[in-house]
Amino acid sequence: MNTRRHYSLTLRLALIFALLAFALLATLGVALYRELERELIMRDDAALIYRIDQLRNLLNDSNTLDLIKTKPELFQNMLGNRESVLSIAAPGQKPLLTVNPGNIDLPSIPPVPKNHELTLADVHHFPSINGVPFATVAASIDSGDLGSLQVTTGRLMTERTSVLASYRLSVYILASIAALILALVGYLLVHRGLLPLRRLARHAQGIGVGNLAERLDSHGAPKELLPMIDSFNTMLERLAKGFVQLGQVSTDMAHELRTPINNLLGETQVALQQHRSIESYQQLLASNVEELERLARMLDNMLFLARTDPASALRQRQELSAWDEVERIAEYFEGLAGDADISIHAEGEGVIWAEPMLLRRALANLCANAIKYGAPRTELEIRAVPSADGIHLRVSNQGETIAAEHLPRLFERFYRVDESRERSAQSNGLGLSIVATIMQLHNGRYRVSSEAGVTCFELFFPRRED
Amino acid sequence: MNILVVEDEPKAGNYLLNGLQELGYSVSLARDGVDGLHQALETAFDVIVLDVMMPKMDGWEVLRRLRKEADTPVLFLTARDDIADRIKGLELGADDYLIKPFSFAELVARLRTLTRRGPSREEEQLQIADLQIDVLKRRVTRAGTRITLTNKEFALLHLFATHQDQVLSRSLIASRVWDMNFDSDTNVVDVAVRRLRLKIDDPFQLKLIHSVRGIGYRFDTQP
Repeated sequence: MNTRRHYSLTLRLALIFALLAFALLATLGVALYRELERELIMRDDAALIYRIDQLRNLLNDSNTLDLIKTKPELFQNMLGNRESVLSIAAPGQKPLLTVNPGNIDLPSIPPVPKNHELTLADVHHFPSINGVPFATVAASIDSGDLGSLQVTTGRLMTERTSVLASYRLSVYILASIAALILALVGYLLVHRGLLPLRRLARHAQGIGVGNLAERLDSHGAPKELLPMIDSFNTMLERLAKGFVQLGQVSTDMAHELRTPINNLLGETQVALQQHRSIESYQQLLASNVEELERLARMLDNMLFLARTDPASALRQRQELSAWDEVERIAEYFEGLAGDADISIHAEGEGVIWAEPMLLRRALANLCANAIKYGAPRTELEIRAVPSADGIHLRVSNQGETIAAEHLPRLFERFYRVDESRERSAQSNGLGLSIVATIMQLHNGRYRVSSEAGVTCFELFFPRRED
Repeated sequence: MNILVVEDEPKAGNYLLNGLQELGYSVSLARDGVDGLHQALETAFDVIVLDVMMPKMDGWEVLRRLRKEADTPVLFLTARDDIADRIKGLELGADDYLIKPFSFAELVARLRTLTRRGPSREEEQLQIADLQIDVLKRRVTRAGTRITLTNKEFALLHLFATHQDQVLSRSLIASRVWDMNFDSDTNVVDVAVRRLRLKIDDPFQLKLIHSVRGIGYRFDTQP
């Protein structure tokens, strides 16, 4: 099992939704905020310039100057609030008028010369006086009698700051609420969307050995789940097939065991019926040994087939001379073939990358079959033909053609072409399935063809990989 | 030869004891691992037959403790046919193994191999009754008549001649003559022996190859 912690997809998606919503809305809010801020600054600056322009016009008039001297409160009212600053002074003299209700420290800035039109660029910005931005502009004014005067005006942007602050707050609150809502909605949607998955899990849980024929229902399932359902059902199909085969093998094996056990039981019971000569007891025991050896062989073969550890089985793979192996098999079967009046022709070259005992076992099983079913006065041919990616080993005999319908099933355990004829002490119906297993262990291939009286088994061993 | 058999299964223990005693060996039987280890450390045996699956102390443990004190040859018996098991046994210092079910003749042959001291000198000339075998020239004569044998027939005869009086099982013969180390479903060995008999026994009065029913063959001047 995986030791890492499992996360919840639903929770994860909901969190991602929330984060995305917040990031998106916050970015939008910041962009709008910047735009608003710029707009507000421009309007404030324009107001300051407008004020100077007005003063330039007013101060040309000597009445206005008198008015400044006599009634400065008029100007204080004109500015209207505590955040504005206005100072009018001749260069180097005490100011004629100072309106500074907020007692703000005026930074000194160069005045715009008389004949220059004021632009937004002439407004100087100071980032913060007591935490509030301050904008100021200064200009020289021609006031006729009094000569050149310098007018400085400025404004503390308290109002703007508070507008922007509340705007900022709104953006954060809205983005947070939206994120929360999306997280919730996302959670519910994903939870709902995964419903078919939970239904499938429940269904899958209900499938066991008893109802392997059942399949997962793809009805109403979302398109994304269809491949999963399909592969799951295919897997079930394979499992069901394997299970049936396994059951069949157990049944077949039990049947196979019946014959030798029946012989053992029957012969021994009959022998015990009355007193007999030593010779007949010896005969009985020898017969028992034969049956028991048959049982032991079958056991050995079944265990061999059940072994599923290719790594250890192939630990002793070697590069074997094909000629040596083919020759060895030919010599091994020389006598048996001679008895059946079959001659053996063996030839081959190249190397076989195989575990020697398994290779010999496979070839021996094929040759034993070939001799058993070969017609007298024919030839058994054992041939090794190397190719680019490995080596082909062919064992072919001449005899009855095997009907095509049997060919694909020949390698199945206990499969027999002729049920009644072949159930003998020499054959237990496992020979070819052992060949198949050996070839699978070697990542090789096997096939059989039977045409015009020639039956040919072919094994392919892949060459050694570096 | 002095043999210790450590086997908890009563029937198996009994037949091993009787069978080996009948062949003239001196045999001690231990019915569990603790007793087995005790005996093995008390007495000097020539070879120990050790069952792996035993209650109280299993064969592996017996072997592990025995190997600290003695290097008596050990042949272990196992019912489990997996490679890891066999490798484990050999790594612990066992000398050979047999998988149940095994043939008794096979066990005897293995025990003989284990206790054979020193390298056996390959005889160049073998003489059994009136049969003469020249191993180097691969020439066989009987009663002065030259007998022509194929390679494998010669190998089979040589195996018989070097194992006189011993019962050789079919699987042992298949493994020594053709290097086929598995129980084949065929009667190749019987056929080969019959063909050999045809050449070296049938024309003569004294038969040398004897069938031992249910076990295998014996090469002997005595019937």
